[in-house]
Amino acid sequence: MSEAVLIVDDEESVRRTFYDWLTTSGLDVRVLSAGDSEAALILANQQSIDLAILDWNLGSGTDGLRLLEDLVEFQPEIVAILITGFAGQATPLEALRMGVRDYLDKNQDLNRDTFLKAIRKQLDKIRPAKRQRELNESLASFRETVEKVLPLVRSTATLNDPVPLPVAVHALFRFLLRATGATDGVLIVRHLLNDGTDTTICYAPNGEPLPSHPVPFSRSLAANVVSMQDPCVMNDFDPASAGIVDLMPFERNRKSILAAPVRVGSGTHVVLELFDKPVFTEEDRRLVAAAADIGAELLKQAFAERQTHSLLFDAVEAALTASDNVTRTLNTTPDTPAYTRADTSAIVMERLKLGLAANTNAVIDAETGLKLVEAVRTLATRHGTAPVEHCVILVNNLRELLDGITGTE
Amino acid sequence: MEPRPTVFDEIFAKLTPDRLLRDERATGAGIAVAIIDSGVERSILEEKFLKAGTPIRPIEGVVFRTGNATPLPYDGHQSSPHGTTVADIILTIAPQVQLYSADVFGPQGACEVETVIAALHHAIDVWKVKVINLSLGVPEHKLQQLPRRNQLLRAIEEAYFKDVLVFAAAHNEHPLTRSYPSMFSPPLISVDKGLFDDPLQFAYKLRESIEFQAHSRGYLGPFAREPATSWATPHLAGIAARILSLKPDLKPFEIKTILYWMFRAEALHAV
Repeated sequence: MSEAVLIVDDEESVRRTFYDWLTTSGLDVRVLSAGDSEAALILANQQSIDLAILDWNLGSGTDGLRLLEDLVEFQPEIVAILITGFAGQATPLEALRMGVRDYLDKNQDLNRDTFLKAIRKQLDKIRPAKRQRELNESLASFRETVEKVLPLVRSTATLNDPVPLPVAVHALFRFLLRATGATDGVLIVRHLLNDGTDTTICYAPNGEPLPSHPVPFSRSLAANVVSMQDPCVMNDFDPASAGIVDLMPFERNRKSILAAPVRVGSGTHVVLELFDKPVFTEEDRRLVAAAADIGAELLKQAFAERQTHSLLFDAVEAALTASDNVTRTLNTTPDTPAYTRADTSAIVMERLKLGLAANTNAVIDAETGLKLVEAVRTLATRHGTAPVEHCVILVNNLRELLDGITGTE
Repeated sequence: MEPRPTVFDEIFAKLTPDRLLRDERATGAGIAVAIIDSGVERSILEEKFLKAGTPIRPIEGVVFRTGNATPLPYDGHQSSPHGTTVADIILTIAPQVQLYSADVFGPQGACEVETVIAALHHAIDVWKVKVINLSLGVPEHKLQQLPRRNQLLRAIEEAYFKDVLVFAAAHNEHPLTRSYPSMFSPPLISVDKGLFDDPLQFAYKLRESIEFQAHSRGYLGPFAREPATSWATPHLAGIAARILSLKPDLKPFEIKTILYWMFRAEALHAV
């Protein structure tokens, strides 16, 4: 990125002249200008400034050196050139300490050539130092990203056997229905992936998925609960009051609803709804809030595999971006064009996704695979391994039957 | 001999909270209000207020998404129903305001502080609104990084110095949980929940940096009847819009003083 040069002078004609000199110099800099300290500080607050050209006398009782003191607060690395009418009388030591690297005397040889020569001299020093800083930042970012990825990779082994979702849901509702006196409930789980895939599945208290429904999440009661961020109660529920919300089939004809968000992590919204206690009390609300926190831990395990994939994608993407920055920084000199690996990153990410998909979903899609695994796991949890072995025999028999019908070898 | 009443005496005698709030011109007309929230379902509000005989001005807006500094066009829909409930409250109190919606939540149902700051800047610099409603907040424990907290404070102060009134909701569990930006109380108007017989009533009740209490029940949406600071904030923002429609150039500290005076005058009157 080109360096930013800030001109601060209270005379507009001077600012315009310096601006014209810089923009026509071919120095590849971004030029900003300000007429007083306040405007300069606003600019410095909004963006990074590499070199400041400051008038010694800024009017209103302030001067360039004092402004530089403030600019350093925003950007400690800033370098400045002071434009003075009396260079010989300035206080070089103090000024040097604060980042003034050169003086130009208005009353002597200040012209386009001397001005640009002074600027060029400072840019030649700034650019390598800036590249070094960027390199250090990129490396720090890369290290941070890798540090994030490593525990995820290590934890994969422990995530191989997550709590089956139906079991987690069933356990949660068994406790909540008993504790609150609600007669029914539902758990709404919405997954929103980075690629925009948006799925919502609702589970009954026994952990079984309910039939799909046509209500978009943004218009659902659950979305309202997510944005409220706290458990919400509706006693004497009147469906007509829903107004901006479309009710799901299981929410219609309810007398009362207590709904709470369950925070399981980014990309997944979970809302717990309890129905039809004559009056949900403040105590119920608090109990559900506490249960939602505990339930979140239980559900996190159930969602862990899917989330790990998502986090892994994010982390790898960040690592690639960071390594791109490192490569770009190492390969860029003032005289050579920047080398970009953005396309390479996109290709690597795509291959990574395809690779993961190919490993798990080469024959069946992820959801179907997950359903099968969950069904088998539930069977094994409840009835041991013998019925699972029976399932394997059934599957093999079915395959042989279909092979026979279709003539497949 | 009694001094003859001056024109000022007449004006002051007429100046009562009730007269101000119920003046027929106190409709919010001419006042632009931004709602930084989860978007607004435009057609539902247009239909509701048309049926009520108080058609509203067309609601404009933009959509902000985390990581994207450029706002996206608003298609008239909400990301979730929260923002529509907030908008409905403001329009109920001040039906003639020009409403702008900055949807900062998106499908994820959450947003970053940086997104809220971008929306604040947009409301101030592009829409040039007079009132901003923030029925949202970040709990203190989630905003520990001082630079981010300072950035948010700077955006709020920028609004203050540009004469824009920011109304921010306290956390629903205040003061057990403190949240930003409501805790930046001096340059903004911080609002806690309260229950009042009349939605135009409110109270000044300083408690742990939060200054005002306003009516905390809404009118539209399944959870609108549940008392919440999210619903209290637009009530007070709407009340301010009504006052501003009588004198649009009032500064934030003047509005705060007027609100304080109105509460005191009402309290004295009640005694």
